[in-house]
Amino acid sequence: MRRSSTLPITLGELARVQPLAAAEPHLADPSRTVEQVVLAETFDRLRRCTPHVLVVLHNEAATGGWSLAAALHLAWERNLSAVVVSRSVAGGSSVALAERLHMSLILIDDDPVDVALQLAGQVSAPAAARALRQARLAELLAEQTGIRGVLGVLNRELQQVPVALMIGGVVIAGQSAALTERPQARRIEVEVHAPGERSAARLVAAVPVSGPASVEQVESLLRLARPSLQAAWAQSRLDAATRAAHEQAAFGLLRRLPSAPPPSGEQAGIEVPAWTSELGWQVGEANRAVWLAPLRPSGEPPPEITYLIRASWQRGHSTWPLVAEGDGWISWHSGADPDDVVALRRALAGFRDSAVAHRLVIGVGRAHAGVAGLMRSVAEARLAAHVAREGGPGAVQWFDQVGANAALAWLPTTEIAQVADLCLEELMAAKDRAALVQTVLAVLDAGGSLSQASQHLGVHRNTVLGRLARARQLGLTYDEPGQRLALHVLSYALTALWSDTAAD
Amino acid sequence: MTGQPGYIGASASITAEDVPALYEGAKFYSPAVGDANRSSITSWLAGLLDRNGPVPLLRVEAVPPETACVSVCVLGSGSAMADLPPAGDEFEVAVRQIERLQRVSFGAVYPLAAATISALVAVVAAAQLRVPLLDADGMGRTFALIHHTAMHLSGVSPTPLAAVGPTGESVLVEVPSGPRADRMLRANVDTVGGWAALAAYPTTAGVLRRAALPGTVSRIANVGRLLLDRTDPDVLVTRLGTITGCRRVARGRIAELEHLSRPSDVTIPAHPSSLVIEETGGLGRQLRIELRSEIVAVFADGALVAGAPDLISLLDVSRGVLATLDSLEPGDLVDVLATPADAVWYSPRGMEMVGMASHGIPLAHPRRR
Repeated sequence: MRRSSTLPITLGELARVQPLAAAEPHLADPSRTVEQVVLAETFDRLRRCTPHVLVVLHNEAATGGWSLAAALHLAWERNLSAVVVSRSVAGGSSVALAERLHMSLILIDDDPVDVALQLAGQVSAPAAARALRQARLAELLAEQTGIRGVLGVLNRELQQVPVALMIGGVVIAGQSAALTERPQARRIEVEVHAPGERSAARLVAAVPVSGPASVEQVESLLRLARPSLQAAWAQSRLDAATRAAHEQAAFGLLRRLPSAPPPSGEQAGIEVPAWTSELGWQVGEANRAVWLAPLRPSGEPPPEITYLIRASWQRGHSTWPLVAEGDGWISWHSGADPDDVVALRRALAGFRDSAVAHRLVIGVGRAHAGVAGLMRSVAEARLAAHVAREGGPGAVQWFDQVGANAALAWLPTTEIAQVADLCLEELMAAKDRAALVQTVLAVLDAGGSLSQASQHLGVHRNTVLGRLARARQLGLTYDEPGQRLALHVLSYALTALWSDTAAD
Repeated sequence: MTGQPGYIGASASITAEDVPALYEGAKFYSPAVGDANRSSITSWLAGLLDRNGPVPLLRVEAVPPETACVSVCVLGSGSAMADLPPAGDEFEVAVRQIERLQRVSFGAVYPLAAATISALVAVVAAAQLRVPLLDADGMGRTFALIHHTAMHLSGVSPTPLAAVGPTGESVLVEVPSGPRADRMLRANVDTVGGWAALAAYPTTAGVLRRAALPGTVSRIANVGRLLLDRTDPDVLVTRLGTITGCRRVARGRIAELEHLSRPSDVTIPAHPSSLVIEETGGLGRQLRIELRSEIVAVFADGALVAGAPDLISLLDVSRGVLATLDSLEPGDLVDVLATPADAVWYSPRGMEMVGMASHGIPLAHPRRR
């Protein structure tokens, strides 16, 4: 249904422009339309009102609490849109009665006659009132300096229309309800360009078809928000870039500390430099490092991603550092009790959705004291993160649970696969190579036990035997003692590589 | 009265034992009045009745039609009367002044309003003058002004009237129009001591047969006995209903006392304010009770359900007694009772005089819709 601009204005829209913007609204239903404004001096006038009338009370009809109560009852009987009355007449009980009757009540400070005249003008020219509203919204938006502030204004002003700001598939700010598909809502999107003319983000809104706001109106309001968003975006980018550089430099300095010779031959632990606290870092106690790494490393991540990761990682834990290093990010938690991982577990659980969205895996080191301990924990976390890659996006691996298997994570599987291409040409050409290699690996893992291997693979023992025979024909001579280690490693690398590729 | 406790019906006389019941019943019909001078007035009257013997209480029809009768009441503030108690002869002096002026000898006294202490001072005057008391009055409850009477509606003039203050000074008023008399008296009440004994509406029993409201003195005695018999509030309301026709509008807890400054009619002594009650049980309505010098209207969720000239009173449920307007506090559990006034007050002229419009509420009365 297309809504024209001459459609009757709604209570919600009226409440957003003067004179009612300065009033105290108690709106039972902001989407109620207002077709006419009546200035009621007497109760008789109220009795003659037709439905969808907004009534402004004055004089006899507004002489105290009882008169407002009686007027609310009449308004309810007559199915009026709202009752507007001077604040001096209404008390808390009048508001309670209005709520009980589900009748909108608006309390004003200005002269009722003036208000009624202005409202009558607005109701007779809805388009003009809507233009006023846009102007007011533009002012509100211009006052905002942050992305959250801009989205806050949009969501507050566009009642019942959730608005969200998205980068890629991730909601940066606003209400994620804007993304959920609903039958009675139309989704509209407005591109927000970053400096440099490239599309950086999208404003998404879900406009209820039967709601008070028309699609065109919402769209124009979203367009109004773009300059403020761009300014806020540039500002935060600037801040984030400065901070990221600062943290990166500081962490580099911290890392060099353990290798530097201790001053005056002291063997006690390294002193924590004072500048770490300027960054809000805690290093002095038991440190447990976390390594956030991409599932598929592809060089240094772009600063935008760092910005996003930082935003979601630090939500609720603003003092935790996030240092971009290599192809991942380091963070750590510092506390007096090395075994206390409650906060960390909570943070990891909260970060899980973002980790999946950005295809990250997470490694957690053990808790070690001091700067040197931190560096050790960082190394452990990094190792654990490599192991975590087997678990797919969002996987978390604690170093405590890794053990010697971590060595396997370091295998250069791609290079080993190249060796296979050269040495086992026939095998690599076979269609069923994956099943063959997987079977050989299972048998080797089981120490040569065919029954254990068949159980692990979930196939019959004879199948295992058949595959082994075919593998041997193709050059995978797994049972020659001199080649067993090499072929075991090769099988592991190929299986890991193929299962990764299949997972993609 | 000589009947047993709980006796319901007309009485033949009033004795000292009846005084507490009279006082309680008189309070029911004027819920705005406080208890400031309860003990002084009741002990004074009881002493008089002990010394002078019971006062005969006669139906108007039982008195020869040519008998001259006069009404008495207290004019002004009850708390002023507590501060400056009567010397004792004010009512007798007031009646005697009209007797001298009109050269008559009154054969009976009747209360201008069988409610508040005005009901008791009529007994005082009858005992002092040694004449019978008529079982009839002019209001059947209290209204604010002295021409708000059934006699005025029947064309009986309130004047000549005499008002005697506690200082012994008196004012004699003779005007052709009843409403003017009230204004002239009010101007003098403060000067003579804050309150005054009023003797007014001199007329004959024959006129009163058609002009006064019958049986109202017996009624307050009966109501008073019920109220003194402390019982379960539900039982009390049922019993009161059989005598007075009252019904419970709702039971609820006082949520708010609103004192809003708003314009009011200057001729009616009043401080407009509202009482908000959340109904417990039932429909859970919000009741708004509009206060002046009395309760003038009850709104339930904004709909008018009772209003002047109905007599609206509040019963304190936890204590089982009538709640006076100055004792209300948020949190109190009260029953809102509405008692129909005499039919004469629902006539167009009666409504015009004492209906809600006279209190600045221009809504149709629920009984006349």
